[in-house]
Amino acid sequence: MSILACNGGAVLAMRGRGCVAIAADRRFGIQAQTVSTDCQRIFPMGQRLLLGLAGLATDVQSVAQRLKFRLNLYELKEGRQIKPQTFMSMVSNLLYERRFGPYYAEPVIAGLDPVSLEPFICSLDLIGCPMVTQDFVLSGTCSEQMYGMCESLWEPDMEPEHLFETISQAMLNAVDRDAISGMGVVVHVIEKDKITTRTLKARMD
Amino acid sequence: MALASVLRAELAEFSPNFPKNFPKNFPKNFPEDFPDDSEGIPEILRDPPGPPRVLAAPPWGFEAEPEGPGLQILHGTTTLAFKTPHGVTVAVDSRATAGSYIASQSVRKVLPISGRMLGTMAGGAADCAFWQRLVARQCRVQELRNKEPVSVAAASKLLANLVYQYKGLGLSLGTMLCGWDKRGPGLYYVDSEGQRVAGAAFAVGSGSSYAYGVLDRGLAAAARSEEAACELARRAIAQAAHRDAYSGGCVRVMHVGPDGWREVSHHDIAELQDKYLE
Repeated sequence: MSILACNGGAVLAMRGRGCVAIAADRRFGIQAQTVSTDCQRIFPMGQRLLLGLAGLATDVQSVAQRLKFRLNLYELKEGRQIKPQTFMSMVSNLLYERRFGPYYAEPVIAGLDPVSLEPFICSLDLIGCPMVTQDFVLSGTCSEQMYGMCESLWEPDMEPEHLFETISQAMLNAVDRDAISGMGVVVHVIEKDKITTRTLKARMD
Repeated sequence: MALASVLRAELAEFSPNFPKNFPKNFPKNFPEDFPDDSEGIPEILRDPPGPPRVLAAPPWGFEAEPEGPGLQILHGTTTLAFKTPHGVTVAVDSRATAGSYIASQSVRKVLPISGRMLGTMAGGAADCAFWQRLVARQCRVQELRNKEPVSVAAASKLLANLVYQYKGLGLSLGTMLCGWDKRGPGLYYVDSEGQRVAGAAFAVGSGSSYAYGVLDRGLAAAARSEEAACELARRAIAQAAHRDAYSGGCVRVMHVGPDGWREVSHHDIAELQDKYLE
């Protein structure tokens, strides 16, 4: 089995009007066996910045922890919150350092600029190639299913509530067509003054 | 010979060319002299020329199996069946996967063989569907000839012997034949490796270990009533669907009793989640 499909998992981020949303499934499994249903794939990296990682579970944790370390040093040296675009370059750099023995994790970044509050989403591949889009980004074992759902459901300039509904439906229906993702979905909606976190009731098979 | 006769829907002993006054007229050099009854079969479907393949495997076994990992993982599914004094309770999930893609959540994994017998499907869907339908046909013919319903032991033997001829060629079948005959409830596990085993309870498929865990705990209590047995079967499949990535969809519970088989219940796993899983 492919290394990226060992543990399973999926992450999706969408852009709305003045807000972004990021969602991930909650299954942690080893091949066919489901080990737990409360795996954390989305990590807070700033006041309005979240990083989601899909792929091999051990590398998801390692990358998140090493990145947090670098981010803490940045904030101490600069004395300010990092911009999402700069954070993307930091992630890209960390991943490319391991070009010939990579971390098997594919990140998705969602956040608002700390000053202008402009929404920003991007994803990277496992060796750090960044891709910024204006609509949605995703990674995981059910990427094809998620692309299909997002292409049909996404529309520009969605308000936070509408964005939440859209990303939830896209995620729930995509993971229901993947054997190694699912077991619950957690959704974070980042607006200028708050982050709303909701856990969705999903099929547990 | 074997394939041609199967496709013409006749076993050797039902063929009009079968030697008269068997066994006195049995050819001395079996199988070379066995009459060839493949006229009328298109060229492409005939067996290759030369002495017909021996029907049974040589005693030293086939070397066709490649030297791979010892255990062959059964394809994604969970099916189970167990005997109680009231009959045989059968429960199956309904998921079909292609790799990690869920191809369907509504596959029918129970195949009726006769009014009093069911077969479950695990392994290759086409293999199970085809061979069990063939066995169903054989059972009906036998019922008409003998004026008596066919026994579970006989039906399972028919299936086992049919697939054994293709051992090593890549058939994938892991099925349970569940029925009620004159000896009471009958349950046999038959697979494409040639195993045919009678037993009181079986679980087959990638989720079978999880199902066994729940099943073994409640088997004694399940013998009390048909309702308790069906509840246990439903719970075992739901638990297996939760833990095993390749099982899921719906749980279908069937029961085979002295009056024949019937579907007891059909629930989506999402409905049963709150009841059985935290």
